[in-house]
Amino acid sequence: MFMKTFEEKWTAWVDDQLTGRELSEFLASLPDRAAAEAEKQNAKQVGSLLRDQAMALSNADFFSHQLRERLDRENVPVRSEVDAMQAGWWTIRRLLWGGITSLAVFAICTVLVFHDRTPSSQSQYLTQILEYRVDPTVSPNATISMFEKKDDHVTVLWVDGLQSLPPEYAAK
Amino acid sequence: MRLRLPLLIAILSVAFSIGGASLPEQTVWSGLIIATNSPPTEPTPAEVTQIEGTLRKLFGYSQFQLIGEARKTLKTGEEDWLATSKYFSLHVDSRGEKADAYVLNLKLFQEQKLLLETKARLSKASPLVIRGPQVGDGQLVIVLVVQ
Repeated sequence: MFMKTFEEKWTAWVDDQLTGRELSEFLASLPDRAAAEAEKQNAKQVGSLLRDQAMALSNADFFSHQLRERLDRENVPVRSEVDAMQAGWWTIRRLLWGGITSLAVFAICTVLVFHDRTPSSQSQYLTQILEYRVDPTVSPNATISMFEKKDDHVTVLWVDGLQSLPPEYAAK
Repeated sequence: MRLRLPLLIAILSVAFSIGGASLPEQTVWSGLIIATNSPPTEPTPAEVTQIEGTLRKLFGYSQFQLIGEARKTLKTGEEDWLATSKYFSLHVDSRGEKADAYVLNLKLFQEQKLLLETKARLSKASPLVIRGPQVGDGQLVIVLVVQ
């Protein structure tokens, strides 16, 4: 057998489980018997209260779970949720702006590059003759002149002295 | 802050509209024409009609018969093509575009014989007219136009 500790004896006394010599020894060991009796009465009242409420707590696990979830919801800092949303929104917004800005820069650069390369439809320049040449062995008497008809906006390369050809050369 | 989005949209719209407008297809029409005073056998081609008055003033002929033509759409500006008739051919070698014009190397052949070689900067707004050899009672005329 083994010796009971004070706490075990105390619990047994509160539950009215101590009897005989064990009870008298325990009561004699109490330093303040009146305080101990008061504490015993309090413990009994709490016990009876819990027994009375036992029906209401028949689904104790479920109740506890619901309670914990509600507490979690209420305790999650609203501020951090908002912060997270704002942080996400800011990130998306920055990405959006970054994308739009990049597109704008790309479009402007493209326009500038192609604008420089493409002939304008409103060109006012006349066609220019840069070089001209006839083979003197084929056309020894040929002479070439060029002029611009500015009123008609036409440039003409006028070749004289080429060998005349018969009408059949007009065939398609 | 609220003005930035409309501003960017406006910039993009302008940029794309200008970009789209600055890339038209450029086609060069080259034609071999016999100018005569004989009665017309067929209607004057539309490309010649545009400069028919100028050709009449230049050469003194009233009729213009198309004997060969080529129409080339330039994409890179560095293409070459050939306009041919039975006896004549015009080889055109485009060497790129510069200052609102195409730089073209032109070679006029009579069969295998090189009659004329020239290099021109063909402007969109200005046709090039070349007076070729006399053919019968008419005249060979070469015309190049950017359309």
